Amino acid sequence: MTFAIKVENLSKQYGEHPAVKDISFTVEQGTLFAFLGENGAGKTTTIEILCTLVRKSSGKVTINGFTLDASNDNADIRKSIGVVFQQSLLDERLTVRENILHRGKTYGLSKTQLAENYQFVSTYLHLDDIENQKYGILSGGQKRRADIARALIHRPNILFLDEPTTGLDPQTRQFVWQTIKQLQHETNMTVFLTTHYMEEAAVAHQVIVLKQGKIVAQGTPDALKTKYAYDSMALVFHNPIEGIKWLEENTISYAERQGIYTIRLTSTLQALTFLKKAEPLIASFEVIKGSMDDVFLHIMAEERSRNGSLN
Amino acid sequence: MVALISLVQRNNKVFRRDKTQVFFSLLSVIIVIVLYAVFLQKMQIDAIERITKATPELITMVNEWLVAGLLSMIAVSTTLGAYGIAVKDQESKAQADFLTAPLSRATIQLSYVLNAFIIGCIFSFIALIGCEIFIVATGGKLLSIGDFVQVLGILLLSVLLASVFNLFLSLFVSTQNAFSTLGTIVGTVLGFLCGVYVPLGALPGFAQNLIMYFPISHTTLLLRNAFMDSSIGDVFNGVPASYVEDYKINYGIVYDLHGKILSTSTSLIIIVCTIVILALASIILFKRKYK
Repeated sequence: MTFAIKVENLSKQYGEHPAVKDISFTVEQGTLFAFLGENGAGKTTTIEILCTLVRKSSGKVTINGFTLDASNDNADIRKSIGVVFQQSLLDERLTVRENILHRGKTYGLSKTQLAENYQFVSTYLHLDDIENQKYGILSGGQKRRADIARALIHRPNILFLDEPTTGLDPQTRQFVWQTIKQLQHETNMTVFLTTHYMEEAAVAHQVIVLKQGKIVAQGTPDALKTKYAYDSMALVFHNPIEGIKWLEENTISYAERQGIYTIRLTSTLQALTFLKKAEPLIASFEVIKGSMDDVFLHIMAEERSRNGSLN
Repeated sequence: MVALISLVQRNNKVFRRDKTQVFFSLLSVIIVIVLYAVFLQKMQIDAIERITKATPELITMVNEWLVAGLLSMIAVSTTLGAYGIAVKDQESKAQADFLTAPLSRATIQLSYVLNAFIIGCIFSFIALIGCEIFIVATGGKLLSIGDFVQVLGILLLSVLLASVFNLFLSLFVSTQNAFSTLGTIVGTVLGFLCGVYVPLGALPGFAQNLIMYFPISHTTLLLRNAFMDSSIGDVFNGVPASYVEDYKINYGIVYDLHGKILSTSTSLIIIVCTIVILALASIILFKRKYK
């Protein structure tokens, strides 16, 4: 197993304020890795440290086999990573092509290599319809395409994306997301991203949940779901009084809201058993799969109560 | 090197395509032209008519006086405008994007300085051509080859001085708001400090001294000398030397500092020393800013 990123005991202080507290994790080569967390959890700080933009306070970071801050300019690391920022940072008055080529030239590629790479990103991100337009007049989604193309112009091994889909319309979000997944899949590139959309984290290979600068949960989405989320069934009874009686006779705990009774399931199949037994009583039902939203909300609630008991 | 050139090219395109930015960097020059058309030219001609008779050469000489002041101001205002990109990049975090590429902060900063120098040279050269057309169109003569080369040399030096001067100033600001305030202050003060908005002799003594100690005004001085050299002889033919001296002092063609006339080489030394000192100060400031 080769690691694209290895982080050991990373900490970052801004004056008195700790932004990242002693976190460790590894990202396997060729995987999609998601960093989840509320605003201010330390996601952006972590990504900025990994992208060589902010100096860490302590800890050890290895990226593509190079140790971070071993040299003053981290040139080896910079050549092997691409970064897509939250904001759009290309020049408004330059065309998409000019933007990408000007920045591409800062990587020390040969002319032919650069032209080849441009061809690649242009095809991959469908730039042909926008490459000669000024960046400033593009729509949010078109800008994102150009941003990703710029981050890939030197064909990096790792692509960092800091909340790449925040503020985009649903259709564009989907396009961006599909492009990222396809890219990761077809080029076997390592993708490291931060997001606060749970459904996006669900397709990652590995997820880390960050809260107040600390890792509070990590694992595959499935593992996290098993641990923190559960399937449930919502029931509506013909006669609620009889329904409650049945639930209590079978010692099934439930929650009621506006005549809808929600019960917890150990698996979705368990719903069948219940439905068979109580069929005459039930007017309608819905089986709800546990989602990443549940995972996130549970972790956050758990942390809150843990902190509460400490205080 | 390829990276640096690419950055400079990028800065250059970003500046040139921002038409408002270009306009505002030329604003103080436009003000000079308006002031000149409204009263500066007439005032000067009236004053000289009292000592000698008005000839077409006189108008040419006064026009040359304007042109020299204008060219020295263009060098400063355009180079300052060019540093607007540096401030914008810093505020918009575009610099962060450059820093994810294998570039050092120093390379990025150097690209802004080189761009400012190139922009200053381009605009100064275009302005010089425009000024020559203006002088010939109003009945004057073209500069001789020797004078033209001399003017080019002074312009190059003044653009270099302006690039370093504005680099130093721009290192103190990190927001676009602060930068536009800086632009307004420099644009206004410069016209006075180079003795372009108002002739030197019309100012009180302490202000005259201030101007003479202000290094950029020495580029104005050198340019006036180069442009007016031959026409002064023509205009003041047969006029007592003391009158000519008075005119030269009042209109900032020679500096009389504490009773001593400054030589051309003194001005050159002041300019070169200022370039070196400001360059060193900027490097120190830059290192402290990004420690």
